[in-house]
Amino acid sequence: MAADLVHLSVQNVSLSFGGIQALTGVSFDAREGEILAIIGPNGAGKTSMLNCINNFYHPDKGQIVFEGHDLTRLPPHRIAQLGVARTFQNIALYTGLSTLDNLMAARHIHMRAGFLQSLAYWGPAHREDIAHRQAVEDIIDFLEMAHIRKAIVGALPYGLRKRVELGRALAMEPRLLLLDEPMTGMNQEEKEDMARFILDVHERHGKTILLIEHDMGLVMDIADRVVVLDFGLKIAEGTPEDIRHDEAVIKAYLGEEMSR
Amino acid sequence: MSESTNDLDTLPKNLIVGWQKYGRRKVAMRKKDLGIWRSYTWQDSYEQVRQLSLGLIALGLKHGDKVCIIGDNDPQYFWAQLAIQSGGGVAVGLFTDSAPPEIQYIVHHSDAAFVFAKDQEQCDKLLDIQDQVPAVRRVIYWDDKGLWNYDESWLISFERVQEAGRRLDAEQPDLFERSVNAGHGQDLAVFCYTSGTTGLPKGAMISHLNLIAGADANLEVDPRLETDEHMSFLPPAWITENILGLSVHLRAGNVVNFPEAPETVQQNIREVAPQSLFFSPRLWEDMVAMVQVRLIESTWINRLLYKIFMPVGYKVAGLRFEERKAVGLLWRLLYALGDFAVFQPLRDKLGLINAKTAYSSGAAQSPDVIRFFRAIGVNIKQLYGSTEAQTHTLHIGDDVRFETVGVPPPGMEIKIAEDGEILVKGPTVVRGYYKNPEATEKAFFLDEDGQRWYRTGDAGYIDSHGHLIYLDRMKEMLTLSSGEKYSPQYIEGRLKFSPYIRNVMSLGGEDTPFVTALINIDFDNVGRWAEKQGLAYTTFVDLSQKPEVYELIQGDVEAVNRTLPPAARVRKFVLLHKEFDADEGELTRTRKLRRGQLGESYGDMIGAMYGGDDSVQVQASVKYRDGREGVIETTVHVATLEGEIDKTTEGKAA
Repeated sequence: MAADLVHLSVQNVSLSFGGIQALTGVSFDAREGEILAIIGPNGAGKTSMLNCINNFYHPDKGQIVFEGHDLTRLPPHRIAQLGVARTFQNIALYTGLSTLDNLMAARHIHMRAGFLQSLAYWGPAHREDIAHRQAVEDIIDFLEMAHIRKAIVGALPYGLRKRVELGRALAMEPRLLLLDEPMTGMNQEEKEDMARFILDVHERHGKTILLIEHDMGLVMDIADRVVVLDFGLKIAEGTPEDIRHDEAVIKAYLGEEMSR
Repeated sequence: MSESTNDLDTLPKNLIVGWQKYGRRKVAMRKKDLGIWRSYTWQDSYEQVRQLSLGLIALGLKHGDKVCIIGDNDPQYFWAQLAIQSGGGVAVGLFTDSAPPEIQYIVHHSDAAFVFAKDQEQCDKLLDIQDQVPAVRRVIYWDDKGLWNYDESWLISFERVQEAGRRLDAEQPDLFERSVNAGHGQDLAVFCYTSGTTGLPKGAMISHLNLIAGADANLEVDPRLETDEHMSFLPPAWITENILGLSVHLRAGNVVNFPEAPETVQQNIREVAPQSLFFSPRLWEDMVAMVQVRLIESTWINRLLYKIFMPVGYKVAGLRFEERKAVGLLWRLLYALGDFAVFQPLRDKLGLINAKTAYSSGAAQSPDVIRFFRAIGVNIKQLYGSTEAQTHTLHIGDDVRFETVGVPPPGMEIKIAEDGEILVKGPTVVRGYYKNPEATEKAFFLDEDGQRWYRTGDAGYIDSHGHLIYLDRMKEMLTLSSGEKYSPQYIEGRLKFSPYIRNVMSLGGEDTPFVTALINIDFDNVGRWAEKQGLAYTTFVDLSQKPEVYELIQGDVEAVNRTLPPAARVRKFVLLHKEFDADEGELTRTRKLRRGQLGESYGDMIGAMYGGDDSVQVQASVKYRDGREGVIETTVHVATLEGEIDKTTEGKAA
């Protein structure tokens, strides 16, 4: 199914914090419309890799090319405007706002009405607001969040907050979606719901999804391809089936999982 | 509702008359979608049904074919049902949380030719059992979310069926009307498979005349206006929603509202503020529990007003409904103040602001709940009925007595058999069970005048006011070894009034000297209470076994014991480490206890309570939603109410 068009290309990226080498010459491609998972033990550099793509961290070396733009040279908000959205490991929502408002806030990058237009209730700004609300309501329906539409996000249980965060990322209408451990801290049922949502997003909108995840079983079930990091080095890349049988991976990662 | 009532002997005929009367001028249904209430006029309803019905005929629907429907409360559900019936078919409702084997059983048993399945979730279940239901020609869905990439020729969308219908309509423009007019009142309209407290589900065969008689009887005691709002949230596979929702809508022309999602029902009810409400006792109880919990979290001024005026509400309601005395001027004045300050805002929050009638049905309702709602100005009426005969009795007008379930509606007759069983007769009694002559033989009989009676299997008696008092299922009335009789339902109803108790099964019989109980804590409310106490807990299992939680629940049990005769008091109880679960066969789909299964599942604990142990190790197998099975291992404690064992008089509890 994967069109072989390279959508995001990470080329020889290195990152260090003082003496610690977080990433060493990591390269991989995400093809258009695939779910690519990045896995690895704690401290392998997975989140650092995502932060480089967002340019929250500036790599010491290497290039990250998304649709012809070198992301290492752009500020994060420009990257968002190019169509890269992400969710965070530690949930970064406006906790005092409702689900609806959190999603509406994410639409701002698509808002065109200027300051003066926005001062008048009627007119283009009003029509635009309705269109954005429509888009947001579609997402609320899609992620089955109607019952928490007006609920304050800070008061929601963890699993639902994760869902709101995915909704906010979708509200930006990204072409590349970065998901940083979307299922940590969830129970089995919530994990399965989330996996279903990710697959639905992928099927419905054909978005390229870059997924970091700890739960190996789920990764193997939903990813098209997997990249494995260990101590900042890429040690393997391939289909879930290949990875399952890869000696280096079993030693670095699965080995300790299995011996538990 | 005109003189020509007799001609309107099927639901589709009523739809056509409603359409001719109201057309585009009046809203028939409303559905909240993407956050907005969207309206459908009678014209919309009519066109949807017409196209869909012709589409089904184009796909091969024949007169008398059975068609299953499984889905949430949506306009599409009602349209599908009317489309099936317009084509001469029988609609067979299924519960949305049914597992594939249950669906397989009913689809197969009913000989369904088609199945309407709302969405991906339901379609997946049908695809699971596709091989086992070869008679099903097509599965029709109305919500395509998640189904975009399915490549199954077995599945077809609502819209595509309607397209086929429009083509057929162009060829034979009079086919729809002809098809509807070919229907008769005696034709079967729906099968309702009974929740099956015992054995396999049985399909009650309900005719159009049964449905119309049920709706008309209800309208007679509780008239609706065309402008009235109905909220459709009871499972549409249930007879009750078929009568109070669809049939009443077609007879009275009121508006049917559908919630946005099952989780939003409570919010949506508040937005719609229906005139007539029908909740299970459980839901009414949940509302009381919710008020109490919210109150704890509310501001001091709200708590103060509640504290001042609730006693006024209770006093006035007691005078009016229990002592049946005139209410003095002073009390009326105070009540008016209370209404302004507390009761009216409370009714608004609960969506009861326009409620003219509020019914409770399904199990005995705790008097405390009824008293609570009476105090805030909502008089909950009991309604007692069955799938096989619809409404047996109900409270009519102001003649509400909470120890009874009321009197028969017009046209219905009740008598008590020699062994105490309640028997009913009337136009709503169904013909029998589909393909099950033995069960039909057992449950129905003809009297000397050739009238059909239904044996309810319930025990009861008629009191001096002519009201029926419902005791329990015949086979659930229990005798202790002391010879004392008791009704488990009563104990359970009372205990469940505690906001901290979600469910209870009481135990005790001929070989046991006293009553015990298995208790499910209410995880949300107990959890909130624990947080307030600074009590740390991890899971349901952990929380349920905290000594503090045992103390909390023991207080509730003692309070209930004080209202019971000594022999019927609960002497021991356990707090279960898990909730009763319909998926594990412990509850029926209408959330009634399956005692046999529960007795088996929790045999160890029951043994420990009567054997004198104070704790028991349990390994409970649990079935997850996706069908996998796992095992939980934990220790469950037995609580003994020491003071109760020999105590015969009222006194302070241990």
